[in-house]
Amino acid sequence: MNVTLAVKQYVTRMIEDSGPGMKVLLMDKDTTSIVSMVYTQSEILQKEVYLLERIDSQNRDNMKHLKAICYLRPTKENVESLIQELRRPKYSVYFIYFSNVISKSEIKALAEADEQEVVAEIQEFYGDFIAVNPHLFSLNLQGVARGRSWDPTMLSRSTQGLTSVLLALKKCPVIRYQLSSDMAKRLAESVKLIITKEYELFDFRKTEVPPLLLILDRSDDAITPLLNQWTYQAMVHELLGLNNNRIDLSRVPGISKDLREVVLSADNDDFYANNLYLNFGEIGTNIKNLMEDFQKKKPKGQQRLESISDMKAFVDSYPQFKKMSGAVSKHVTVVGELSRLVAERQLMEVSEVEQELACQNDHSSAQQVRRLLRLPGVCELDAVRLVMLYALRYERHSNSVLPAMMEELAKRGVSEKYRKMVHSVVEYGGKRVRGSDLVTATDAVAITKQFLKGLKGVENVYTQHQPLLQDTLDQLVKGKLRDALFPYLGASSLRDRPQDVLVFVVGGATYEEALCVYNLNRSVPGVRIVLGGTAVHSTKSFLEEVTMTTGNISDRAGEGRNLSRR
Amino acid sequence: MASSYPPPFEGTGEVKEGFICPLCHKDLQSFYQLQDHYEEEHSGDDRHVRGQLKSLVQKAKKAKDKLLKRDGDDRADTGSYESFYYGGVDPYMWEPQELGATRNHQDYFKKHRAARIDHYVIEVNKLLIRLEKLTSFDRTNSDVAKIRAIEKSVVPWVSDSDVPFCPDCGNKFNIRNRRHHCRLCGSIMCRKCMDFVPLPLAYKLTSGTRESLCIPGSPGQSQAPPSGAGASGMGSRRGSLTSLSSVTSMLEEKDDEKIRCCHHCMDTLLKRQLKLEERDHMPDIVKLYERLRMCMDKVDEKAPEYIKVAESLNAGETTYNLDTAGGLRLEVTKYYELIDALSKRILTLGMKDDPAPTPKSLHLQKMIRYTATLFVQEKLLGLMSLPTKDKYEALKEKRKQEQEKKLQQERLAAQESMRKRQESEKNRSVATTNGVVPPALKPPRMTKAGGWLPSADSKKTHSELKDPLLQQIDNIQSFLRQAREAQRTDEVAMLEENLRQLQDEYDQQQTSLAIALSQKLAQEENLQQGEIQRLEARERSEWEQRAPAADSRQPSSIWECSLDLGEPVAGYVEEDKTGEVTPKFERSPLSLRAFPALAGQEESPPRLRSLGGHVTPPSSEGPNSSSLNPFEEEDSTPTEEDPSNPFFEDIQEEHKEVSNGKKEYNPFDDEEDNGGQEEPAVTSLGNPFEEESSETSNPFTEASGDSPGVSTNPFEGDEDAGALADIDMIEEELLLQQIDNIRAYIFDAKINGRLDEVELLSANLRELQHTLQEQKKTH
Repeated sequence: MNVTLAVKQYVTRMIEDSGPGMKVLLMDKDTTSIVSMVYTQSEILQKEVYLLERIDSQNRDNMKHLKAICYLRPTKENVESLIQELRRPKYSVYFIYFSNVISKSEIKALAEADEQEVVAEIQEFYGDFIAVNPHLFSLNLQGVARGRSWDPTMLSRSTQGLTSVLLALKKCPVIRYQLSSDMAKRLAESVKLIITKEYELFDFRKTEVPPLLLILDRSDDAITPLLNQWTYQAMVHELLGLNNNRIDLSRVPGISKDLREVVLSADNDDFYANNLYLNFGEIGTNIKNLMEDFQKKKPKGQQRLESISDMKAFVDSYPQFKKMSGAVSKHVTVVGELSRLVAERQLMEVSEVEQELACQNDHSSAQQVRRLLRLPGVCELDAVRLVMLYALRYERHSNSVLPAMMEELAKRGVSEKYRKMVHSVVEYGGKRVRGSDLVTATDAVAITKQFLKGLKGVENVYTQHQPLLQDTLDQLVKGKLRDALFPYLGASSLRDRPQDVLVFVVGGATYEEALCVYNLNRSVPGVRIVLGGTAVHSTKSFLEEVTMTTGNISDRAGEGRNLSRR
Repeated sequence: MASSYPPPFEGTGEVKEGFICPLCHKDLQSFYQLQDHYEEEHSGDDRHVRGQLKSLVQKAKKAKDKLLKRDGDDRADTGSYESFYYGGVDPYMWEPQELGATRNHQDYFKKHRAARIDHYVIEVNKLLIRLEKLTSFDRTNSDVAKIRAIEKSVVPWVSDSDVPFCPDCGNKFNIRNRRHHCRLCGSIMCRKCMDFVPLPLAYKLTSGTRESLCIPGSPGQSQAPPSGAGASGMGSRRGSLTSLSSVTSMLEEKDDEKIRCCHHCMDTLLKRQLKLEERDHMPDIVKLYERLRMCMDKVDEKAPEYIKVAESLNAGETTYNLDTAGGLRLEVTKYYELIDALSKRILTLGMKDDPAPTPKSLHLQKMIRYTATLFVQEKLLGLMSLPTKDKYEALKEKRKQEQEKKLQQERLAAQESMRKRQESEKNRSVATTNGVVPPALKPPRMTKAGGWLPSADSKKTHSELKDPLLQQIDNIQSFLRQAREAQRTDEVAMLEENLRQLQDEYDQQQTSLAIALSQKLAQEENLQQGEIQRLEARERSEWEQRAPAADSRQPSSIWECSLDLGEPVAGYVEEDKTGEVTPKFERSPLSLRAFPALAGQEESPPRLRSLGGHVTPPSSEGPNSSSLNPFEEEDSTPTEEDPSNPFFEDIQEEHKEVSNGKKEYNPFDDEEDNGGQEEPAVTSLGNPFEEESSETSNPFTEASGDSPGVSTNPFEGDEDAGALADIDMIEEELLLQQIDNIRAYIFDAKINGRLDEVELLSANLRELQHTLQEQKKTH
């Protein structure tokens, strides 16, 4: 149940199957992101893969001394490109792997194109998803819905992605879905259909308790993606934007050239691995330790190199030293930029009010919101976000001050686009839509928590919010999730508590939810949960998703739906 | 714990071995001394030193954590970013994961491909054979009509009336847009859609055919004249055909230098040509790259070996020779240099060529160079340096001192028990201790003692004698002597056994000391105590039991070890155990000891190694090493006598150790020899690779190997059918085509050197030709 490892194993196997010799890896746009999430360049270089190419790239040269490993999604375009490639092969041997089920007729077409007999291997390796963390995957799909129903291409892509996760993890699950969401049901049925159709593939070793696939809908919890985050990974995504584990730092003032784009991957960055779920305060301390540790080593390298033994010591520790200096400068830059943004955007204050809105049932926080709306430092996005939270939270409140807030927004000069979004969000995730009662459920939890916290004394005011998912999974793990709200698809049902759980959020998951799944994995023994979503959202991308879902169709047509840039 | 000496920053976490100043690497006895040392020596760098100390402690802690699989929960330590769980999952919390599901489409793919390839191969080979026919006669000197006739004989031309439009471009044929025939497939196209095969290309393409068909002794040569015989033979045969069809007069221009053909045939031929070129061509980068990988593999193999040796040497151990280690280091560094040089050459490959390499190949070269740099950086910098000769001596000395310290501690503890043992021994043994050790006994003991550090032999003499075990050995030897004097044979036997056991014990102790120095003390005491008790118990029980048995056995055992003792021993047996000391036999025990002493000088080096010291290569290693070893001979009989002897195994093990010790030297020598031979090996290995890659780079030939074999059967069946069927013109056509096909197969088989298949096919061909002729006759 480790999605990163699953993809990595696939890629490793591909490379190893091709034997020794210089290799080129041919990929398409999607598989490039998939592979780049699990392999770094230096890692893949060590395995003799020296070139990474796109199958649709025109300027590839004939290099008959290379072996080609093709990892492609089985799309029509890819098959067509591959047929062209095989007709005039550029490399000596081709090892072809498709990331999902491919039809017989397409294989036949490929076979007939292979007149030069250059194909040595043709297989399906089901890594058709982006493995973000070991327990979190994404499909990098933006705008999956039209109104309240699926965009057909998105549905088929989501089905493919989800089934490939199941195949990669070797799970043939029992499926539950959120009753209030038609999309969840549609996806569940679609996945079931594939499982039935490809029953030979899904014939895995039976476990005592069958695995469970739970399909949820983002619109049930529109609050979580609207909150500012304070754990490292989530915060980086919210403030800087994490795209396939890469952050674009080019807008950071005074950034050095080699730090324009940095990779944050838990796989080969120990500091990141250890801090990804820690909050900003703890990271501050840790980064200080890291710096000190680094400085301790550094001056030694410079000052004490007179004696031979010191030089020896320096050389002995040099690789670690070099690695460390890279990690230090990277994290120092990232954390520095985060704290700059926090100060500039007055995020501490904003976040406090956000959390209050999200967790407490006290209409007086409206005053706080209005106060913040008047502060000049608060940026447009944060202002809108506060109003949205208020709108969602006190949608039907008798003394709603929403119109007044909207006026304030207009006065601040917040663009019309953003102001419209307030209504869109309510339309997307308002009470009318929600199946479970988001606010009271969170409320009950929050109140108890608040009470406990009060007893305990100090507790972080910025991270008091718990996503709805936490509650759902908690019930699920205890076997108390109500069948009426989350029915089983088909006749089969689980009598025992689930052990292996796959949660998929239609409309995108968040890093806050990833953290909650991580904590559950750690705290509940015997339960393994993997979270997935059509995307992993920050507030910005979530608002785009909302606009695309609720806005009229003609508006959306031109917009790119796929998040992946590389 | 050979590697327990902590190399400054590679700390294996074992800090117990010594308190070493991280700045000057001076060994200090205790933590406090170390602190004092700092304050005196390095007070200026106080800050760093503290850091160093802390980091050492941290390292130790980390190692401990790692061992205990403790979750890195001490957050204060996160500065050391040791990853115990990454990215949200504690790896050991979730079960190991197997590879996800996969599905293989190879069979289905191959099935469809094979059908296609069969077709393709036949087409290509047919074209080649026709091309050969078209080029095998003298084109320039034949007249147009003759050429036309020959061309028409090669492939039947499609009749003009059947094709009103150009099949390629769709233009109507008329007087101005005339029909042209492809000479290779006979099809019709217009002038615009026509292509030409230049003669040089045609020769090049068919040259493979000729060469492969002219292999001496190849069965195809005589049986298949059209494809096998030389150009002249063919010409004559075709000449006869020409006369048949020379009726048709031609208006077309003469094609002297080229052969007309259609797009499709041209395309196929060009592909074929490309393939031929590629098969013979192996780019420089591949050759260099293969050498590069080979060097990398060698490094992967040698570097760990070297690191092991270097660690041991840096710890002042004497397991390895400094010189061999130096050689090994040199070898490894040589490989690094080679890797560097090779990758540099790859980087600059083709830079000066006129058509500069394509950006992609430049990129490839860059990446290879980058990888090699990474490899060297990672591995080379991990190589620790060797101590210099002087430093090594110092290290050895230091280690020796450490060991002595440990020994001293042991001695102190052991002396207590020794004294007790001595007393009890004295009380029981009949003889009195007149403890002067005969000087003749010393030499063998000396070599033994020095075994683990022979350089210190002379200096150590005094201290070594204080070893409790040695003392005990001395004592027992004196008892032995006294017992002999007292003519107590059974006791002599027993004492001798004790002596041997003690000596073994001592040897054991020395070797194990070198391996595990710490915490040996307690074990040793226990062992000694147990030993003593056991000996005592046995002494008591065997006193009576073995007395008669010893009488008969004793002489033989002694006989074997010293010849001049034979007579006196026989005397012992006859004499009664009266306990009287007879002066005339006083000489015999001395001679018994003296003999080994003499032999000892010769056999000491091998013996020495068995004791755990492997430093000096034996000065005189010879056949005498085993046969002259008095201990071994002496041992052999009593060991058999007493199967319960716990040291039996040890003795054997020790023998093994001896042989291992010898082996340990040889591999290094061999390797060094190899090192010299490596260069030619590298180049010679290039050839198999070439062969291999040429084979794989041409999958066409490889895979087509299957097709003829598979498809011969259907043809055989066809042929039977053809022979049985009514004979008419269509049959003849079919036969001709089949002959063509089979020739194509033969050609293919020959190219790939499958002679058996060629034979089979040519037999088929003969049969077919036979049928054809018969058909012609009947008509």
